[in-house]
Amino acid sequence: MIPIKKGFEADIDYNYQRMYVSGMMQLISHMLKAGSQVDDVIKTEVADMPEGFVFRMCVMPGELSLTMQKQDGALINLTNYTDKPDLTMSFKHVTFAFLVFSFQEHTAQAYANERLVIDGDLPMSMKVVRCLNRLQTVILPKVVAKKAVKTYPDLEFIQKIQMTTKTYSQFLLNLVKER
Amino acid sequence: MANEYYEFFCPVKMVAGFKALEHIPFELSSHDASRPLIITDRGVRGVGLVDIVIKALEAADMQATDIFDDVPPDSSMITVAAIAALYREKECDSILAIGGGSVIDTAKGVNILVSEGGDDLRAYSGTGVVKRPLNPFFVIPTTAGTGSETTNVSVIKDDKTGAKVPFVSPFLLPDAAILDPRMTLSLPPKITAATGMDALTHAVESFTGLAKNPISDAYATAAMKKITTHLPEVLKNPSDAAGRLQLAEASTMAGIAFSNSMVGMVHSLGHSVGAKCHVPHGLCMSILMPHVLEFNLPVSSENIGELLLHIAGSDVYASTPVAERPAKAIATIIALKEEMYALCELPRKLSETGSVKESDLEGIARMALDDGSMLLNPIDATFEQALAVLKKAF
Ligand SMILES: [Fe+2]
Repeated sequence: MIPIKKGFEADIDYNYQRMYVSGMMQLISHMLKAGSQVDDVIKTEVADMPEGFVFRMCVMPGELSLTMQKQDGALINLTNYTDKPDLTMSFKHVTFAFLVFSFQEHTAQAYANERLVIDGDLPMSMKVVRCLNRLQTVILPKVVAKKAVKTYPDLEFIQKIQMTTKTYSQFLLNLVKER
Repeated sequence: MANEYYEFFCPVKMVAGFKALEHIPFELSSHDASRPLIITDRGVRGVGLVDIVIKALEAADMQATDIFDDVPPDSSMITVAAIAALYREKECDSILAIGGGSVIDTAKGVNILVSEGGDDLRAYSGTGVVKRPLNPFFVIPTTAGTGSETTNVSVIKDDKTGAKVPFVSPFLLPDAAILDPRMTLSLPPKITAATGMDALTHAVESFTGLAKNPISDAYATAAMKKITTHLPEVLKNPSDAAGRLQLAEASTMAGIAFSNSMVGMVHSLGHSVGAKCHVPHGLCMSILMPHVLEFNLPVSSENIGELLLHIAGSDVYASTPVAERPAKAIATIIALKEEMYALCELPRKLSETGSVKESDLEGIARMALDDGSMLLNPIDATFEQALAVLKKAF
């Protein structure tokens, strides 16, 4: 369920927001993994990250988080990673993560609105943000994606459909493999 | 358009004007400090600026407990540790930083170590690690440009790895910034022009960026007016102390604006030109600003149009139709660049710097995409777009 009007999230129970954000983090981490395997743009960004690079997106104080690492040229999900990641992007409150993951506020705007603290390798954070942007333009319908990213790229419909199919297929394939 | 949400923060006291330096003894004693360590560099000391401060202190029965005058152009952790050791050895209780960006960043690092303890600055790197007030710390800028006296950041080179390590905390901000025209009076015209354009870029980018807000806008627009009015005058008459003071104030105001609203793609490109080709930062800003504004025009035309009021004055603004204001604002900045070229030969294009080759541009564009300041630029530039802007500026 995607709230249509901004500010609507204030009426949604925090527990529901927490569940939604948790689910979206799961989904995004799996999608990002798939994207890093098949999507040309994400592959190029990931290629520039050092092998072993770890980044985390979390909600303060930290119980909701997604952590990913570059291994063998692609991104994988890490669970139970206890060291300090190379890059951490922390939402100050669950409701701000909800704003971003329900595509009401893009990442750059969340940063501009001081809802997000970025700690660690700044150049890498730009790459991670571009990966997330690309992922959103590929997996979301255009009307939604246009709000979810700062600058919607020049992407022909056919190209978009091809990449969307490829990414979703890889996502499903990974799920089957992991079973 | 009203902001969805914003924050604004600037706890730095401004001590600004003629005879501002003579206010330092009171500022020190009101922080219960009497043993300040002066941190500066050879250049600043060489032109006698430290002596002016020391004399002002002595007349009030105060002494600088010691002077460290060997800060390198790139602040480094070894230097920070050495200064911290000196501070402890001489039992200092406060810091007076006299200089530009590197001196100020170094002094922020020193204040972390002497207040929090330890010798390894790395332990405090990152965002928000320093969580409590540090020792009394005062900054006396000797250039009117960087605005470092109002930022909560310090970037210090790790001598072992060569990496530039950021330290971010509200407690890094000095207790006061002391702006006295004597400190910038001897600045050569070209440096005056370049640093002034850096300050103008801070104001323009914070006013046109994604994180603009009404309070930082007020600082930014006031700074723009001061700079565009007084920069040409000071270049024509370098000993114009009143004009120098206006520029120093404007630089600090622009610093307050961008420390709250950040900068954008002029800085992303400029940082990369600086890193790859060693072109002075302010010069990069001056060269790139109009080209980036043109690039941002499709989504920021309203904000860019509003610049005109503050950089060209109310008469020009009123007589220019709304639709023509954005282009006129950019033309005004180009005209300012031409004027500075005529006055002090400040290069207008990357090729005129003599340090940038056309073959460097691709590497610069690639690096610029990963610069943090791209995040709040109104448009996310692709590699091809960044390269196109650089080529126009070449
Ligand atoms: Fe700057």
